[in-house]
Amino acid sequence: MARHLTHELRNLLDRGRDRQLRLAVTGLSRAGKTAFLTSLVNQLRHAGIDARLDLLKSAREERLLGAQRISQPDLGIPRFPYDEAIAALESTPPRWPEPTRGISELRLQLRYKTRRARGLLGDTATLTLDLIDYPGEWLLDLPLLEHDFLSWSESQLRRTGPERRQHAEAWRAALDRHRPDEEVDESRLAELAEHYAASLRSAREAGFSHLQPGRFLLPGDLQGAPVLQFFPLPGVGESDRQTLETLPADSLYQTLKKRFRFYQQHVVKPFYREHFRRFDRQIVLVDVLGALNAGPERFEDLSDALATLMRSFDYGKRSLMNRLFSPRIDRLAIAATKADHVTPDQHANLVALLESLLAEPIKDLRYADVPVRAFSLASIRATETREIESDGKRQPALRGHGLDGEPVLIYPGDVPDRLPENAFWQRQGFDFTAFRPAPCRSQALPHIRMDAALEWLMGDKLR
Amino acid sequence: MSDPRPGQRFSLDDAPAPGEPTTLQGARHYLPTQASDPYHQDEIPDSPAIDAAIAPPRKRRWGLMIVLGGALGLGTLEAAQTLYLSTLGGDWLAGAWSLIGLTAVGLGARALFGELWRLRKLRRHARLRRQLDEEWVDDAPATHTDPLTLAGELREQMGLPRDHPQWQSFLDAHQSHHTAQETRQLIAHYLLHPRDRAARRLVTRMSGETAVMVAVSPLTLVDMSLMAWRNIAMLDRIAALYGLQLGYASRLRLFREVLRNMAFAGASEMVSDAGMDLLSMNLAAKLSTRAGQGLGAGLLTARLGLRAMRTIRPIAFEGDEQPRLADLRREVWQQLRRLDDRAEPR
Repeated sequence: MARHLTHELRNLLDRGRDRQLRLAVTGLSRAGKTAFLTSLVNQLRHAGIDARLDLLKSAREERLLGAQRISQPDLGIPRFPYDEAIAALESTPPRWPEPTRGISELRLQLRYKTRRARGLLGDTATLTLDLIDYPGEWLLDLPLLEHDFLSWSESQLRRTGPERRQHAEAWRAALDRHRPDEEVDESRLAELAEHYAASLRSAREAGFSHLQPGRFLLPGDLQGAPVLQFFPLPGVGESDRQTLETLPADSLYQTLKKRFRFYQQHVVKPFYREHFRRFDRQIVLVDVLGALNAGPERFEDLSDALATLMRSFDYGKRSLMNRLFSPRIDRLAIAATKADHVTPDQHANLVALLESLLAEPIKDLRYADVPVRAFSLASIRATETREIESDGKRQPALRGHGLDGEPVLIYPGDVPDRLPENAFWQRQGFDFTAFRPAPCRSQALPHIRMDAALEWLMGDKLR
Repeated sequence: MSDPRPGQRFSLDDAPAPGEPTTLQGARHYLPTQASDPYHQDEIPDSPAIDAAIAPPRKRRWGLMIVLGGALGLGTLEAAQTLYLSTLGGDWLAGAWSLIGLTAVGLGARALFGELWRLRKLRRHARLRRQLDEEWVDDAPATHTDPLTLAGELREQMGLPRDHPQWQSFLDAHQSHHTAQETRQLIAHYLLHPRDRAARRLVTRMSGETAVMVAVSPLTLVDMSLMAWRNIAMLDRIAALYGLQLGYASRLRLFREVLRNMAFAGASEMVSDAGMDLLSMNLAAKLSTRAGQGLGAGLLTARLGLRAMRTIRPIAFEGDEQPRLADLRREVWQQLRRLDDRAEPR
């Protein structure tokens, strides 16, 4: 108890002195969160030795002394599996780190020389950086909190396009035999919920991102519990609220409503309260190229998912008071990950496309006067840029290894600076190749613009 | 909007991929369905007119130039002729005189060419600076020059060899995916910061010394010539730090530029600076009139030096890297105080 208290007190003190930073690494599944965190820890560990962090001012001026992992505040949460991720990258053949299946935490302590000596305090200072990793699927549960069952049900079915609807065909057919006021027994309900979960899974396989509830895809320790046995009801809306509310307690509608509420209160809310409320900075990672590969409907779907997602965070200016008691995100980076999968001349387009993907949230952030910057980023760089002579013209190309280990030399194609029309997709479409990581031997991981992102996210704290 | 180009796979030995046969060079056919925008003509910028109005009137004295040039040309011809005739006729004295005359003309021509050459270099410097300012401000579109090419031009302008360690460390840090803005940061750090530091040290030293010299010199006339001499020397050295060799004309031009910059500096900046200057001069004058004068002269030199740094530096200073007069003021003042302390025991 006493130890816990001193820990809390130190946290409070650190926050008061602005020596602690909680960084939200936000991204849907496969956006590259784990790779980003692994690379972040790796770069900071190697800072000043062999990491190339020239765009991070404190590192460029050789003031950044390095970082150490220290014991995290919440001992009940697993530690971020940094060593495992590095081991995967260093194995032969190198592999990408395993996707995240649960929450993990990491606390880094950065040590740096201040620009001016601080009198008695000496000229070195520390900054504590708190990071958490979690499955991207669960993140989409956060927007659930602003719905009740009826409005959620409506929002889930309003949005679906033709392709998405195909995946829900089986569930729709099974559900058609039931009416909201009917009594449905437990096993049938479980069956229907399984159908719904299967529809979500197949939609994810097909590249869709806006999939709620997230625990249906990755149940964790809730596998088979009744709390995961609910689904939206098609064909009911706000206009039916009066009649639906008067239904008996064991009707289908009321049962689903009860479970939805339970899910909200006991699954999503604790997750939000414990991990997502107190952030100072945020980076939103988006796999733009993956979405381009997947086609227009999925691209819109991703844009939609990100827009609803970003409403769940608090943005605004910081002051001492709210730094201590209700931290807000006062600076934000949005990043198109896997920038190493296109040639450098396409990075500007990639960023423009990312900005158009996040157009709605950016407007809100601008209104809240929170500075945002867009980056094209590769946490772990898998390719190297070459130039080759083709048709008498010199043109850039990428050299790397495909996922199957075959060496490839490729010009992956142009990235459009905004979303092309549907007709273009039918005619040509995109096919960006996936690469496996380049072999590395215990030196700093190669990257693209990690240093610039770090400078933007925490450069002002390393003065 | 034209469609993005599709991807292309190449064989691994970098062999040129067989291209599609082109039917007609230069011509392009568009489908009628292709989206098109109305033809947009850029507005003609009106700045040249304004620039011309602001710039000092330029007049070329053609008559004077013809007379001078003609006299010089004819003189050279005559000297050459005399030399030729004297070698034939044995009039050694006339020959020697004309030889001396020819040498003088040659020396003059060399100096003239040197001046012109340096002037041209200064002009090129200004042009490069303007280009860097335009293209490296923020993440410029890809249509601009490749950042690395521009950086190479800058290196040449600064007179650094290809294997200069600072340039090498810049090359190590630079990556092909860096944008113009990022390249600018790296150039500023690896090539310019060391020079900034040296220039700042120089300005501090020179202004301190000027302050002391003016404080101790007994004559106003000596004060004035001291100031002029030292300021010009400082300008020379700052220019040399950033790789610019100054001749007589280019020095004059640069000096004029710096003075004009100083004269048209933002009013607010002037007010805050001048306010503090006056205050510290008043304080200094309380100690002694000489110290007050010295401080005034020192601060003027410092301001001139900083302004010169700003004018000469190939990439404009960004936000907080700009050296400020406030930092220098204290140092100048300390130098004077030391003088004062030493003077007091007597």
